[in-house]
Amino acid sequence: MGNSVIVRRLGLLAVLALCVVLLALVPHLPSYYVRVVDSILIYIILAVGLNLVVGYAGLLDLGFIAFYAVGAYAYALLASGQFDIHLPFIVILFIGAAAGAIAGVLLGFPVLKLRGDYLAIVTLSFGEIIRIAINNADDLTNGPQGIAGLDRASLFGLPLTTPVHFYWLLLVLAITVCGGVYYMERSILGKAWRALREDQDVVRGLGINTTTLKLLAFALSAAIGGAGGVIFGAFQRFVSPESFTFQESLLVVLIIIIGGVGNIVGVIAGAVVLVVLPEVLHFAAQYRLLIYGVVLVTVIVLRPGGLVSPRFNLGFIIRKVRTLWLSPSKT
Amino acid sequence: MALALENVSKHFGSLVAIRNLSLSFDVGSIYSIIGPNGAGKSTVVNMIAGSYSVTSGAIRLGATALNRLPKHRIAQLGVSRTYQNLRLFDGMTVLENLEVCFFPQSWLTFLTGAKRLSKAERLEICHACLAEFHLSDVADVLAGDLPYGRQKILELARAFVTQAPIVLLDEPAAGLNHTETKDMAAMIAGLKREDRAIILVEHDMEMVMSISDRIDVLNYGELLCSGTPDLVRTNERVQEAYLGTTEELDDIRKLAQSRRAQGGLRANAGIVRH
Amino acid sequence: MLDYFLQQLIFALAIGAIYGLIALGYTMVYGVMRLINFAHGEFFMLGPYVYTFIFSGLIGLGGLAPMLDSAIAIIASFVIVGLLGVAIERFAYRPLRAYGRLAPMLSALGMSIVLQSAVRVTVGPQPVHFPAIVPSTPIDALGGMVTTVQFGILVAAVLLMVGLTLFVNGTRLGIWIRAASESWTTSSLLGIRVNRAVSLVFFIGPGLGAMAGIMYASYYGIMQPTMGSVIGLKAFTAAILGGIGSIPGAMLGGFLLGAIETFGTAFLPILSFGYIGTEYRDVFAFAVLILVLLFKPAGLLGETVSEETTVAKKDY
Repeated sequence: MGNSVIVRRLGLLAVLALCVVLLALVPHLPSYYVRVVDSILIYIILAVGLNLVVGYAGLLDLGFIAFYAVGAYAYALLASGQFDIHLPFIVILFIGAAAGAIAGVLLGFPVLKLRGDYLAIVTLSFGEIIRIAINNADDLTNGPQGIAGLDRASLFGLPLTTPVHFYWLLLVLAITVCGGVYYMERSILGKAWRALREDQDVVRGLGINTTTLKLLAFALSAAIGGAGGVIFGAFQRFVSPESFTFQESLLVVLIIIIGGVGNIVGVIAGAVVLVVLPEVLHFAAQYRLLIYGVVLVTVIVLRPGGLVSPRFNLGFIIRKVRTLWLSPSKT
Repeated sequence: MALALENVSKHFGSLVAIRNLSLSFDVGSIYSIIGPNGAGKSTVVNMIAGSYSVTSGAIRLGATALNRLPKHRIAQLGVSRTYQNLRLFDGMTVLENLEVCFFPQSWLTFLTGAKRLSKAERLEICHACLAEFHLSDVADVLAGDLPYGRQKILELARAFVTQAPIVLLDEPAAGLNHTETKDMAAMIAGLKREDRAIILVEHDMEMVMSISDRIDVLNYGELLCSGTPDLVRTNERVQEAYLGTTEELDDIRKLAQSRRAQGGLRANAGIVRH
Repeated sequence: MLDYFLQQLIFALAIGAIYGLIALGYTMVYGVMRLINFAHGEFFMLGPYVYTFIFSGLIGLGGLAPMLDSAIAIIASFVIVGLLGVAIERFAYRPLRAYGRLAPMLSALGMSIVLQSAVRVTVGPQPVHFPAIVPSTPIDALGGMVTTVQFGILVAAVLLMVGLTLFVNGTRLGIWIRAASESWTTSSLLGIRVNRAVSLVFFIGPGLGAMAGIMYASYYGIMQPTMGSVIGLKAFTAAILGGIGSIPGAMLGGFLLGAIETFGTAFLPILSFGYIGTEYRDVFAFAVLILVLLFKPAGLLGETVSEETTVAKKDY
């Protein structure tokens, strides 16, 4: 074992340590920055969830935010004075995920035989229907005013109130979701999804029920969306329909495309860029959106395949780290 | 196990593609369906595989009627197929193209893991299959990056990897050169087994004549003749269907002879390829 | 009751015609490029702004004859918005052709943000009064239920649609467009300059969108930078309803959506005993769309492709 091996291992450790230190430092930042990081983490969770459907199974879902809304309103209805129900956060987290999954299956079942853009527009319509319904079902949801004063959440006796609390919760959840999706991507299920994206008729010809396969992708992604919504509700302690517009659905799709479709590392990069960019552009005042749009178009024209190359994915990083650690001479 | 078509008809609007066709395929043999363009060969394959509905009649595998089942159920019962124009999963590796075939077939097996292959078993079968089809060296190459000839072989491997008792091959030689076609024919002949029926739709007569146990000739959606290669080769009605009447045939023979004299067209059982 | 019905019918036709004109832009672009042009709603919004700019410019210069000013401004806004569409295709979509279908869609989304915020920055976010092109007076001949503006919109929209149909079916350029929609590769092999066909589509589509915008603004008398978002979405729904890629489908889809919305809104409270009110107008439109697609998966006039005849690889 030569000197260079030790240097490389130390370098690797240093990089890992840097990552951990950076993540550990976040809570010590001013509250505004912690909120931005929280927001990034929420969008990472949402985008990784939607990526199951768009990136792996190849189905364009433009109504994803509806599932997020279902989760958020689950928290709003079950942990507030609205009906004077006060369930614990962790229970609602599961209820929200389940409600999202059920909504996903209910939407998916009739429409999944549609192809491409027809599926896209139906999911879009579904998202709008949910939003308009929330907006108008005054008795249940308070309509456009929304529901305020949601319960302060707590988890296993620990309070969940400040952005820092949510930072830790979201970090754990984001890592769990990324890890889970990465595992699925490598399993036979992930392979079947990718095959579905390539040629769904042939997949059926191999004896695979494509409707179930699509439903599964839809339900899982909707469950992740629902869980994300519950956390959003607990974090904001206020929900209203205007948080769940078509533009929000598009933002999540944008994160996936701008990062690199079907690539978890890409999704993380996309979420960072698209959440941080508007914050950075605050100085531009009323020109903010204009610059945002111009940057968006420029980025996509210059890097149409996404910011992160498809080769640079989680599997690549894991392999790299492993070979560097186990047999550094090979690298 | 036997696959049987019973009085099957298929109409596309007013066009009758298949008229009252009855055929039976037993395991243990290689069958070829031939006929001029538009005779309905591919329609038969697509009906068996469930891609087309059947207008009237029945298709049975053993005692099960296939023609009412959805496509994936038919495949699960043991009918696998290749496609006329290559349809591989281009963005996935060669190995993954085979692995997908072992996706659990129902919710029950998916969730409980019963009757479900472990990852190691799955990989073992797929690697053995790749070795059998001489694809081991490209296991981790993207299917879309393979040369055309090997893509055809990969599609063949995908049809055989699950040991389906009925295998439908839709023009396995299309687009291959002469040597590759010969290799393909040898490969298919070597895949003949007691528990497997291979049904071939093919234009390349050399291949069809050399490997088939029985040839079914279709013309305008009807069965013209059925029998061993020798029988079909000498059947006058078959020659007429392919080449027209005897006078026309003579003209074409003359033309072919003159070309052959120039060293152009390849001589081949008197039958001209499209 | 009959009067009410007639009034609603005219309203349905007028709004349907506007939807139809916008839907044409979606469907033509989709036809040649398989792209959902999310920026299309903004061309609709730009129409009245460009019109007002030109019109007030002409008046500021002293003006010609009253109707002539309007006519010039209308034609100018068609041309200017059309050229803008061509430029956007050239710089924001064309470089992305080799990169699947999601990248151009994203670019279109970005362009939508750019156009909308550009207008907001220039003229402010608030709704602005739109000058009437023709005075809105009830037409006595039609029972006093129909105004000149409604009538004008209907006539102008139908004329544009007829013109487009004649152009696409009868002229050489129109045949290019149809050929490019059928098959990009074959058309280019046959010597059709596909890029020109695309440019032409990106001229006509946004131009028609601008016309629809002017009609819409003159109907309601106001315009604002966000007006393209919701209407654009609905017009896209109309295009899908009719069968995206089909020109007659877009027109049919537009009129149908107009009718569904208008009559749905008018009669829904009556039919549901007041339980479901007019605020569910948009839900109604989207729900009908989903229902139609369940039974006709390719829209009303869209081609149903058999899975074996078309190798429908990669949707996205």
